[in-house]
Amino acid sequence: MHTALVRLWLNSDPFIMPRYVSQAFPLEVTKLIYCSRTVPEIEKVVEELRKLMEFYVKETGEANNFMALSLSSRKNLCIHPEVSSLRFGKEVDGKCHSLTASYVRAQRHSNPNQPVCRFYEEFDAVGRQVPLPPGIYNLDDLKEFGRRKGWCPYYLARYSILHANIVVYSYHYLLDPKIADLVSKELAKKSVVVFDEAHNIDNVCIDSMSVNITRRMLDRCQTNVDTLQNTIQKIKETDAAKLREEYRRLVEGLKEANVARETDIYLANPVLPDEILQEAVPGSIRTAEHFVGFLRRFLEYLKARLRVQHVVQESAPQFLKDIFDKVCIDRKPLRFCAERLQSLLRTLEIADIADFSAVTLISNFATLVSTYSQGFTIIIEPFEDRTPTIANPVLHFSCMDPSIAIKPVFQRFQSVVITSGTLSPLDIYPRILDFRPVTMASFTMTLARTCLCPLIVGRGNDQVALSSKFETREDFAVIRNYGNLLLEMSAVVPDGIVAFFTSYVYMENIVASWYEQGILENIQRNKLIFIETQDAAETSMALEKYQEACENGRGAILLSVARGKVSEGIDFVHHFGRAVIMFGVPYVYTQSRILKARLEYLRDQFQIRENDFLTFDAMRHAAQCVGRAIRGKTDYGLMIFADKRYARADKRGKLPRWIQEHISDGSLNLTVDEAVQLSKHFLRQMAQPFRQEDQLGLSLLTLEQLQSEEMLQKISQIAHQT
Amino acid sequence: MDDQGCPRCKTTKYRNPSLKLMVNVCGHTLCENCVEMLFVRGSGNCVQCDTPLRKSNFRVQLFEDASVDKEVEIRKKVMKIYNMREFDFSTLRDYNDYLEQVEDIVYNLTNNIDVENTKLRMEQYQRENKDTIQRNKAKLTREQEELEELLLLEQQSNEQRRLDVLQEEQRQLQAKRKSKQALLDELEKSQLPATILLAQHKVRAAQLETEIEQQKQNVKPTSLFSTGIQIGQTVSLQPLPKIQEVLYQYKPLQIETYGPAAPDLEQLSRFGYLNHVRAAMPQDTAGGYSSALACYRAIQDAFSGLFPLKD
Repeated sequence: MHTALVRLWLNSDPFIMPRYVSQAFPLEVTKLIYCSRTVPEIEKVVEELRKLMEFYVKETGEANNFMALSLSSRKNLCIHPEVSSLRFGKEVDGKCHSLTASYVRAQRHSNPNQPVCRFYEEFDAVGRQVPLPPGIYNLDDLKEFGRRKGWCPYYLARYSILHANIVVYSYHYLLDPKIADLVSKELAKKSVVVFDEAHNIDNVCIDSMSVNITRRMLDRCQTNVDTLQNTIQKIKETDAAKLREEYRRLVEGLKEANVARETDIYLANPVLPDEILQEAVPGSIRTAEHFVGFLRRFLEYLKARLRVQHVVQESAPQFLKDIFDKVCIDRKPLRFCAERLQSLLRTLEIADIADFSAVTLISNFATLVSTYSQGFTIIIEPFEDRTPTIANPVLHFSCMDPSIAIKPVFQRFQSVVITSGTLSPLDIYPRILDFRPVTMASFTMTLARTCLCPLIVGRGNDQVALSSKFETREDFAVIRNYGNLLLEMSAVVPDGIVAFFTSYVYMENIVASWYEQGILENIQRNKLIFIETQDAAETSMALEKYQEACENGRGAILLSVARGKVSEGIDFVHHFGRAVIMFGVPYVYTQSRILKARLEYLRDQFQIRENDFLTFDAMRHAAQCVGRAIRGKTDYGLMIFADKRYARADKRGKLPRWIQEHISDGSLNLTVDEAVQLSKHFLRQMAQPFRQEDQLGLSLLTLEQLQSEEMLQKISQIAHQT
Repeated sequence: MDDQGCPRCKTTKYRNPSLKLMVNVCGHTLCENCVEMLFVRGSGNCVQCDTPLRKSNFRVQLFEDASVDKEVEIRKKVMKIYNMREFDFSTLRDYNDYLEQVEDIVYNLTNNIDVENTKLRMEQYQRENKDTIQRNKAKLTREQEELEELLLLEQQSNEQRRLDVLQEEQRQLQAKRKSKQALLDELEKSQLPATILLAQHKVRAAQLETEIEQQKQNVKPTSLFSTGIQIGQTVSLQPLPKIQEVLYQYKPLQIETYGPAAPDLEQLSRFGYLNHVRAAMPQDTAGGYSSALACYRAIQDAFSGLFPLKD
């Protein structure tokens, strides 16, 4: 039993700990909520958990009724033949909603021809009474189970997370206020929340609270408002009682929601601030017509604002003042806007909610802008920086404070664990997320052999300094040397090489230049070249072919981009990635106004300097990229940082500890030749046969070794260091 | 929005980018040229709805939907009359009912429903509530006050930040200039060879750089104003709550001197004690001093503590 504990712990999946605790303290820890980033990662976690549970059953000899399941979007879970064939997630959601909404189903009583989803009907009829049998369910298992029973797997999963022991799903189900309100608000307070791969969690928080409004969206919004008005007219003629009922409810105020929150049943929602719950909807937007008029005014105001000729940046209070001066909209009705719209949509029984995403977004924006006077900024850009002649006005309502989105999670759940392989430096996370950590620990890897080899290549063979900094972007000498590095590496490294660039534009420039200089041709003599593009389908195709090429021994090079799809969540185990080359330091585009505003906010509110944050952000992405190569103890790989700036202490110090430890002073400023020599040596060493027995006592323990006094001491020592 | 155009002369924004659309109280658009042409005499009828209009009431159309322009205009007018605030009502419910009533009026006027009656209602209300309207004219709503306050705070903190940065820069510049000057002076006066001096200077310059770097690092926390109020905290302008307590009652001080009672201050001159004390100079008396005071003090000192201590 304990072996498994250590094995998993080393495999960087830390969910064994709460599981262990939940058996030790069954009343204190009732549930584990495990959040990860992508669907493949979620699947991986579930598979690992399945192995663990099988091991438990085998060792203890008793079957435990333990339930774990993963939850994903309708797109990944739907088994309805028509709906699941749709391509986009939004379409699936909309179609599903039009088949399963309560009033649609109510209409079926009077009109049997009304189409409904039989899977949902079946689930609704019997699924709730019978709980899901204990076991481990990944997405396919759920679908399989759903097909067998004829139940909708999506709703089954959503319902079952309430009594599952472990729930594995995406961050967004907890952090995005719109989704969290639907899915996660009833999860028990005694749950333990784990955010895995959380090095980007601040960006997830910010994205979930930010709103971008374009001209096209406003046009769609206009049609939405017109539809609303027409529907109201129609309903008024046919079923005025319904509107009256809604009106009565609004006069009473949102008491139900308030009671629920006070009794602590639900997770708080940042879009539904407390003040709203304690008051009734203001009189000026109480009736449906008035509210539509209000929306129309707000919309026209936004349109007028988008007609600017120059960039405008203002704070929320400035925006509120301006909106009052221009169209006489007070702060209070704005604050109730999102809630009021939801109520109206419910009352009007609009079947296809997806159509109303534009107006929902606008109303969320209204609520946020009037609720938070700090932590947000409004930036209106009349055109993109790259194309100043083409008018494409965008209103960015940008959240600058990640703590707003994550605060309800911290407040509600008894323990929250934030973890990642590349969470470094650790101390910046409590500052930007604004929480007080109970404990912080950074673990190294226990390795039987040094299976990673980080090298910092600072110079070319001609002693030209290698750097992706702005001044030398166009420098042919640097580009040529980068090309040489890749060329020589392609000759010595077996199987797959993954190369990361700082941006798509930079990659295009360099590859074009390599082509002209004939470097590309030379590289292709050694390996095939695949390129990541901005198109997801194209990229996944390239990735597939890359793996195929690695598989059959030819070897391949994948050129990709830091912060792209490949760098986040695609693993290059074993021969798929024997070397990762990071060309340059992946700084964000620093001229973006949103970023500038955020940096300023960080400096003023959290005392984090601009440069610190930029370096931190660049290094976490660099670490994320190079970390793709090592995915286990038997794996090995080169990590080549091709930029002289990595040698500086401020950059190097921000790499995770397990990488830092292996950078020797001798490998800080290598030339291409030296790097090739070192790699050859390293690769030859690593290519020697490596058996499981070699790991024994070091990174793999037998039961006896684990129970030995010495090892227990060592473990407690590691556990207590911070 | 390029397809917006004047309904009369059919010019569009696309063909004439400098086209200016105007709108009047009825909510129908006309371009500036047409307005000039049709309303030469200062008044006329709307081309679309025949409402009599004045030229002076035309204004530039702000929004794409001209009806919104019209509504905002009407709303501003109505708000001037219906300007009761939340604190004028005893309950929130009443206030909300009132708000809805106002909204109804605006809605009716904009959509031409029952205009006559609504106008009558407004006039009646205006007559009845003349005082309140007058009184509330200058008052902002509570939320607006909060907003103003936030804006002010924001402005102040921005200004403060700008000044800080400016000062910091100047200080650094001065320090650099000073060190340079020091080098020149030393080169001029010192007996040491120039290479050593230059090397020393280099070390010092490096130190200065690191110092500046360090100063940049410890940005001082600016979450407080000098008054100790937190930035971002909205200061409530409500009167301080009164503390209900029992009034203070004065009780004369009782001092146990353990000695015979000393004569009172007034009695001193009568008993002739003052004869043996130095009389106060005229300049001493300016501060309220009199010789009796010193004498009184000395006698109290002499009289106290003469009896044995009682247990």
